Amino acid sequence: MKNALLFAVFSLFLASTTTFADDMPTIKLLMKDGRLIPETLEVPANTRFRLEVTNEGPGAAEFESLVLRKELVMAPGVTRNLVFHPMKAGTYKFFDDFHPATGQGRIVAK
Amino acid sequence: MGNALFVVWRESLEAFLIAGILYAWLKGNDDSGRGRQALFIGLAAGAGLAVLLGWVLLGVQDELTGNALEVFQIATLFVASGLITQMVLWMTKNGRHMKARLHADLSAAAEKSGFVGVAVVAALAVAREGAETVIFLYGMAQGSPLGTVLLGALGGIAGAAATAWLAAKSLARLNIGLLLRLSSILLLILASALLVMAVDRLIGSGWLPALVDPVWDTSRLIDDTTRGGKLLADFSGYRARPALSALLAYLAYWSAIALAYRRISRG
Repeated sequence: MKNALLFAVFSLFLASTTTFADDMPTIKLLMKDGRLIPETLEVPANTRFRLEVTNEGPGAAEFESLVLRKELVMAPGVTRNLVFHPMKAGTYKFFDDFHPATGQGRIVAK
Repeated sequence: MGNALFVVWRESLEAFLIAGILYAWLKGNDDSGRGRQALFIGLAAGAGLAVLLGWVLLGVQDELTGNALEVFQIATLFVASGLITQMVLWMTKNGRHMKARLHADLSAAAEKSGFVGVAVVAALAVAREGAETVIFLYGMAQGSPLGTVLLGALGGIAGAAATAWLAAKSLARLNIGLLLRLSSILLLILASALLVMAVDRLIGSGWLPALVDPVWDTSRLIDDTTRGGKLLADFSGYRARPALSALLAYLAYWSAIALAYRRISRG
């Protein structure tokens, strides 16, 4: 019983942080062979948005950004969503931590 | 190829550094050899855990599991940071006991629990970054010939081991007092970096407010998005654009450490 309750609370907590509704714009990013496509992503400023990251491979990729505080390791062929909280207008760098030489990108919030 | 070397080197460096520092310290402070045995058991268990965790990570596709995993990873960061800190405090207290050779029975009991701590810290260090290495190598194995993968993996691991060996060797040369102090400081800095990483990821996931973001911007001075800057960030907790809540956590951590040391030196 206690476990069930804990589970329910935990699921609610997760559900509250994960939004399935289409109330936020979705922006797509493709990681392919150490490249980021596109390298510059334009997003609306001060708005929550979802970034749908697909790693086409070959090879694993790691979407990482210290300034955006995100880190996501992905095996080839995997698609995952990252939810970003409203950010001020400006340029934010991110990179593929497994391919730092080629995988450098930026998110421009306008 | 060069890239694979670098990635594997960086991913395994933290674990090897922790192992190297612990090894140097145990060699100087524990003649029984049981501490070092505990260290190796911990490292082996960590490698097993890394493969298991990597395998779990590979299977994750949906958002709910992804979120649960995020929670798990952040929790691991907090636990690792806390355990390393606790172990350093134990080392500091125990080093004094061992030197004084007082209360032999008491220190034997303390020794046993301390060695369990050593094993757990080593296992966690290997498992955490090792899981990412597993995924990286798995990805490489799909696109490149096996020989290249093996070469990259072994080269990177050997490089990290050599780096840690060099650190341990230079530490072991120092006298015991200095060795203890220096290895404690290095481990505490690493623990504070893990704490900053954990708090940062809580902010990034929206579970903690940033309060003021950023407090300052030193990216012109040391840019943490470059290779070197990123290494500094990973190992010291440096951020070019820190959030206030991460900064507060960092300051609280070092205040708590200062208090703990004051109590140890008084007791």
